[in-house]
Amino acid sequence: MVGLVGPGPDTTATTTATTTEDPGDGRDARQPRGSRYVASHVTKAFNGAEVLHDVSIVLEPGSVHSLLGENGAGKSTLFKIMSGLYEPDAGELVLGDERLHGLTPRSALQQGIYLVPQEPTLMAHLSAAENLYVGALPRHGRTRLVDWKRIGRESVSYFTRVGLDIDIETPARNLSIAQQQLLECARALVHNCQVILFDEPTSPLTPHEVDVLFELVDGLRSDGLALGFISHRLDEVISISDQVTVLRDGRFVMNAPRGGYTRDELVTAMIGRPIGVRTRVRRSSDVTDRREILRVEDLAAPPTFTDISFTLRKHEVTGLAGLVGSGRTEIAEAIFGLRKADRGKVVLDGVPLTHRTPRECIDAGLIYLPEDRARNGIFGEVDIGRNVTAGIIPHLPRRWHLIRTDRETLLAAGATARTAVHMQALGSSINTLSGGNQQRAMISRWLLAEPKVAIFDEPTRGVDVGAKDDIYDIVADLATSGLACLVISSDLEELTLICDRVLVIYEGRIVGEVEGDDVTTARLGQLVVEGAM
Amino acid sequence: MTTTLPTPPAPAPGPAPVAAPSSTRRPRGDIGRRDRNWIVSLVVLAVAEIAYFSFSVSGFFGGGSGLLALTEQFVDIGTIALGLAVVVLAGEIDLSVGTMSSFSGIFMAVLWQSDHLDIWIAVVVALVASSLIGLANGLIITLFKVDSLLVTLAMQFILGSVATALSGASPPYGFPTSFVRIAGTGTIGPVPYQLIVFAVLAVGIGLFVSRSRTGRAVTLIGYNRPAARWSGIRVDRTVVGAFMVSAFMAAVSGILVSGYYNAARDDLGDSLLLPAVTIVVLGGVDIFGGRGRIGGVIVATFVLGYLTEGLLLRGDSSLTATMVTGILLIACLILKFQIDRRNGDDPFAVLRARLARVGRSHGRADL
Repeated sequence: MVGLVGPGPDTTATTTATTTEDPGDGRDARQPRGSRYVASHVTKAFNGAEVLHDVSIVLEPGSVHSLLGENGAGKSTLFKIMSGLYEPDAGELVLGDERLHGLTPRSALQQGIYLVPQEPTLMAHLSAAENLYVGALPRHGRTRLVDWKRIGRESVSYFTRVGLDIDIETPARNLSIAQQQLLECARALVHNCQVILFDEPTSPLTPHEVDVLFELVDGLRSDGLALGFISHRLDEVISISDQVTVLRDGRFVMNAPRGGYTRDELVTAMIGRPIGVRTRVRRSSDVTDRREILRVEDLAAPPTFTDISFTLRKHEVTGLAGLVGSGRTEIAEAIFGLRKADRGKVVLDGVPLTHRTPRECIDAGLIYLPEDRARNGIFGEVDIGRNVTAGIIPHLPRRWHLIRTDRETLLAAGATARTAVHMQALGSSINTLSGGNQQRAMISRWLLAEPKVAIFDEPTRGVDVGAKDDIYDIVADLATSGLACLVISSDLEELTLICDRVLVIYEGRIVGEVEGDDVTTARLGQLVVEGAM
Repeated sequence: MTTTLPTPPAPAPGPAPVAAPSSTRRPRGDIGRRDRNWIVSLVVLAVAEIAYFSFSVSGFFGGGSGLLALTEQFVDIGTIALGLAVVVLAGEIDLSVGTMSSFSGIFMAVLWQSDHLDIWIAVVVALVASSLIGLANGLIITLFKVDSLLVTLAMQFILGSVATALSGASPPYGFPTSFVRIAGTGTIGPVPYQLIVFAVLAVGIGLFVSRSRTGRAVTLIGYNRPAARWSGIRVDRTVVGAFMVSAFMAAVSGILVSGYYNAARDDLGDSLLLPAVTIVVLGGVDIFGGRGRIGGVIVATFVLGYLTEGLLLRGDSSLTATMVTGILLIACLILKFQIDRRNGDDPFAVLRARLARVGRSHGRADL
């Protein structure tokens, strides 16, 4: 692994611990790498609800410190405070010997603290290279003009290092979520950071991409950076962390160095109860009504996908496996009318859906839970109630053309009760919910539409272990109640747990269908990666 | 926490089983409280302002009837602001409202004078014609994915020119008395007809935004457009509808202006836009869409209206009043951004997200 400090290997200056690289805007007096970063006794409340209570964490240089906890435990909030996005109500941040007051994202960056956020926040229209250098454009020494040559030269090497194989001119909007995530990591390198906080970087990544990221994290560690890491995947945390801190309900539960804990101890600390090993969900085979409910015939939108034909049956969970970029999501979007297909037919319960729009699909009984919940799912600032009823606006009870809000509230309350959304009140904004509970609220939205077929696109992305199980249970219960479910997932283990049948997409085509006991991660993995047996 | 998902989904969308009593409460969350605080501050501001001018400017208060009479000077702008608020809530902007108002007034007057139509039929025709122009605005914006700022800016100039051309050298004047009384300077007791018209429109728009299906769609689109599409909201159709509402309200305002002056005016259009935008922002409507209440817009109409009239009665020039309006608009935007930031949402992050939204939408087929 090459050294990860400073610019690429093709630059003239050999970088040292105190870098001589001037990013160009006069912030050259950087601290030396490798300070420890301490957050002590941090407390934070949002609108009176305490999300962090007296939590401390020490990030040592040259080590990876992971935060574990269920959704809503306060992990992300702590990292956001440590990177200046939120101000703590109490407690202090100390970097090296310096106490950081009134930290903002910008001053955090100047101090060398970078947060790789859960949802990448790139400028969609700018190229990958421009995104890489936002806020730190290198300039010519005398003219102060932007040094595009250097950007072109160096960005390639940054990208190579984070395992990104893209044209540097690619606009950010054309990058997959995984690629955007890696680009965010590269940005931290450009800013020459000494502390990097990763907020669930791995949840949208494929296993290979996770390997690339971890190699990168290893390199950063040996360069003496202090690294913070949030992940829901226990195995990842165990393999990469030098220190683990567990939070529950905004409070500190345990801290242990590598080897100082067992897997079971971590799980118990996280959820406050021991968790059973998941076994494959088997629905009772005596269900006779396996009527075909959705038929997709020869759906095509080249070059993204072609020749997509399959059927979904009642009471059945079908998986859609494939690498990121294989066309899985695009196929689902085309079925749901969000994307135009050049040809092909979709027949739902005997009714052909010809000019598909989401509205028509929803009314016919087809629902879709999007992958990118923050962008395509929730109305963040809107109260939970109106979020839940957003899918059935045309069918809300009315009197004299006016929505009856009392009845609407009852509908929302009933729907959220069925998915056990854990919330303070229907009237609080949905942003106050944790990721898992937002997902439950999304599912309650769709239950109100009385679906026959449900498409779940990465239903457990950004959701912790405990809530994951609950979502599996919801999917299973929906299937038991007669729905046909289509689950899109990068997590092969997840597919083996909940699916009766898995279709594998490879480069826009269905390359295989495995059923019953053949659904194993090994079998799926081979199909997904190689497109053949 | 265990999942409770009983039996198949309930058969009919009737009242579903009620959850724990605590969740049937409906506080609107922190945002609702913020909006209410904003409106309460506006009311306080209006009262303070009226008190100040009542004591310092003779004839302002006029035993209460003076205050009522003054409303005729600004409810036309308030009417425009009500329609504009709908477009802004949907996350768009309509700059054509000012000259749309001129256009409808002139068009009505010309139909009445040159084509000898009954004045009320002319009014209806003008309202329909303006709504169709709003339809055109909306269709251009949604079908061709052009920025509403630019389309409506261009439409503003087009309508301004058309209005001036239609009005000719001597704009029509001297409308029938029945028209002047109701759309213009008539009163019931001390209450001007115009204020009553405004009140009816305000209640209508208020209910439209808060309680109608389209209004609900409008706000959700403003909050998060992709999520609205994913939820099955017909985004384009709703946005077009918002532009039609905005055009219709601007047209009503043009009729009110004609009635008030008892003459068609083609020269007022530009001066209506700035105060209308200011009222919308002052009223607490998020300029990026989604958040905001019509109640705030109504109160803001009076805040800005009385401020302007107070300044004019005190002897300040209309230039000063316009300048104050502009300053107020900027001050409001800054203040709102500051409040939002203190509450944890970064308006610049919102802006970035919007830009990203525009960028990403290119990659998808649209409805």
